Amino acid sequence: MAGLKWREITITTRQENADEMAELFESVGAMGMVIEDPQLIADYIKQDLWDYHDVQIPDIPEGMIRLMAYLPVDERLGERLQQLQEELSARERLQGWPAHPLSLTDLQEDDWAHAWKAYFKPEKVGQRIVICPSWEAYEPGPDDVVLTIDPGMAFGTGTHPTTSMCIQALEEVINGDELVLDVGTGSGVLAIAAALLGAKQVLAVDNDLVAVQVARENVAMNHVEDKVEVRQNDLLAGLQESPDIIVANIVADVILRLAPAAAERLAPGKVLIASGIIQHRLDEVSDGLSAAGFSIDELISHGEWAAIVARRG
Amino acid sequence: MAKKVVAVVKLQCPAGKANPAPPVGPALGQHGVNIMAFCKQYNEQTAAQAGLIIPVEITVYEDRSFTFITKTPPAAVLLKKAAGIETASGTPNKKKVGKVGRAKVKEIAELKMKDLNAASIEAAMSMIEGTARSMGIEIEG
Repeated sequence: MAGLKWREITITTRQENADEMAELFESVGAMGMVIEDPQLIADYIKQDLWDYHDVQIPDIPEGMIRLMAYLPVDERLGERLQQLQEELSARERLQGWPAHPLSLTDLQEDDWAHAWKAYFKPEKVGQRIVICPSWEAYEPGPDDVVLTIDPGMAFGTGTHPTTSMCIQALEEVINGDELVLDVGTGSGVLAIAAALLGAKQVLAVDNDLVAVQVARENVAMNHVEDKVEVRQNDLLAGLQESPDIIVANIVADVILRLAPAAAERLAPGKVLIASGIIQHRLDEVSDGLSAAGFSIDELISHGEWAAIVARRG
Repeated sequence: MAKKVVAVVKLQCPAGKANPAPPVGPALGQHGVNIMAFCKQYNEQTAAQAGLIIPVEITVYEDRSFTFITKTPPAAVLLKKAAGIETASGTPNKKKVGKVGRAKVKEIAELKMKDLNAASIEAAMSMIEGTARSMGIEIEG
């Protein structure tokens, strides 16, 4: 409904009251809520599951959370807000809840289903490869190779520095007729780029089943199903292929772990492109690759990220 | 790939019925997340729990791709469903609004075990019983 306005209700409350607040919101007709919880972020960071992060911890006192719920601005709004206020006051009196001033803000109806697309525009990431979202019309130049990809459940829209450095390296090393192995394919972007650049066959692996599904969809969207096979696999474990090029855009630790197996799979002179390396670990990864039997052809840097093009000695 | 996390968004949404309206739209839209892709995936995963509100934690990466995990519904929601009541008691000490059997409490505790900070199933059951008491639900058996 165009022009429909929403009233955003913000409440700061104790963590243990969250479920009951959810109930209260639901009882006045707000389906669902947003929960800002500093403890949740702190727990994620403590679990150490993330490669890197730049997450803002919300500025909320310890033990407290901030909740946001939404009601449409219509003739029932006043009554619903009053009911909510009464329920809260009752809990303050009877159950010792802290005071809950309601903070109210108007929120204009936006085209949320599509507004996020504004973040994605066609972008030339190498000499030839242009990453283009499926909804954008793009007129390619004579040398452009257009790779269609939409952001979704798997990492790798192609414009991230770790990915674009790999694409640049693939443009340099692919002459045609190569067998390329993409380890940790995510969205499948590098496997698709390799196929579009002329590789004969591409095998893309990922240990995450969601990534495998998304990669297959993206392969089909780019019409390279005949060249690219996507398989669920843990790095190189059990693979028999002898590729000409291995591309691994993962993370420093995994690349170090992968190096000996990659050296085993690659014949002398064949290429490993390793990316996803945070700048301050570049020397360590470079030394690790040398120790595994690689010579370093090229080091590429982009901001805080680095990639290595290495050749099997 | 080397993923840098830029945001974690926690929501509660009706199972099987997420759509781009609030809270999903504004919460994820500001991070550039593909909202329809999220809704589709969330609705598929939660379809079997229709009628319940399910917490979900969405991790957003630097390139605006995302992953999410769904959590078990709040104990209070499961208890109300088990007791067949609409709302909890405003005065749980005085007014009892329903009853739930111990076997049901155990069932809820088992379901919620992975999201509760409980050392044993007995500890989880005692947490669920505590929630029930605060809602004016009596435990039988």
